[in-house]
Amino acid sequence: MDQFEKHIRDNKAVFVDHKADRAKMWANIAAQLNENPPKVVPLWKSPMVRIAASIVILLGITGIVGFTFFGNPNTPTHYVSKELQDIDMHYKGLVTYQVQLVQNNNQLTAADKEEFLSFMVELDAEYEQLKLEMRNNLDNEQVLAAIVSNYRKRIELIENLLQQLNESKIKEEDYGYTL
Amino acid sequence: METEIRFTHRSLVERSKTGDRTSQYQLYELYVDAMYNVSMRFLGIKEDAEDIVQDSFVDAFKNLDRFKYESSFGAWLKRIVINKSINHLKVKRLPLTSMDEHEYHLTDEVEIEKVNAMDILKVKSGIEKLPLGYKQIINLYLLEGYDHNEISDVLGITTSTSKSQYHRAKKKLVEIINGL
Repeated sequence: MDQFEKHIRDNKAVFVDHKADRAKMWANIAAQLNENPPKVVPLWKSPMVRIAASIVILLGITGIVGFTFFGNPNTPTHYVSKELQDIDMHYKGLVTYQVQLVQNNNQLTAADKEEFLSFMVELDAEYEQLKLEMRNNLDNEQVLAAIVSNYRKRIELIENLLQQLNESKIKEEDYGYTL
Repeated sequence: METEIRFTHRSLVERSKTGDRTSQYQLYELYVDAMYNVSMRFLGIKEDAEDIVQDSFVDAFKNLDRFKYESSFGAWLKRIVINKSINHLKVKRLPLTSMDEHEYHLTDEVEIEKVNAMDILKVKSGIEKLPLGYKQIINLYLLEGYDHNEISDVLGITTSTSKSQYHRAKKKLVEIINGL
């Protein structure tokens, strides 16, 4: 700091030569300070909100408990669905294979095939209905039994047909042999 | 010693924090003239300076909880007043610093010691005649005691610009004083 700067700083009082209008300015300041700031009531302090929050918490706990203890019936449904899925896969494969055998059989006329397949279509429609009932969670065990029965009927039908065909084939082939 | 300065008027400040209007008024009485003069040096207009000082006190009292005695209450309040004054000038789009040719005048110490400036009233008159930008920087550095880092913060300029502007302002001031 040079002498010039030091001289100014040492005589700073000279630069304080204005007088504020204290009364007027304080009146304005006090007026602004007295303006009531918007009262902020924290939500958690309101009794109504506390009650509402308690109810929500209670409902939440009840829901969780209810789901835990009474939601169990859903588990068998999932189990049955899984059971149905397994049965479905097993029988569907079997039926498809046997239907294919019937369709490929040269000994059956087109009319016979059509008649046979129409039975299968009816059983298919019945099966679809049973599956819907299963989804609606009616009596699962009974519906499942009905589905299995449906598949058995189809398979039985196919097996009978194939057996008849084989028997006639054997008769034809064995005509030259005398046991 | 520094600690004692920081805690000047501590009891008044603490009572003011609780909203005690009497204590707030006592603080106001203690500082209003100084703050008004600070603002007047920047703004030069009575009504503007009054508005700024009023706003500063209101802000200070409303935000007193944030005052943690890192400086004295007076220094804290003065910073509010200066910031508000500078912002006021910015809003009015008045140039705070003359930005022309400010890069290469760091060594303009010439003639300073020769100045016939020991008449402080001439200095005062000379400062008032300075262009606004120079006046701000002389005020901040010589009268308010800000260093160049603080000036750069307040004015939004670099430290080197602050330094060069100050040297140019001082040179100009000497010229004015010598011409009086």
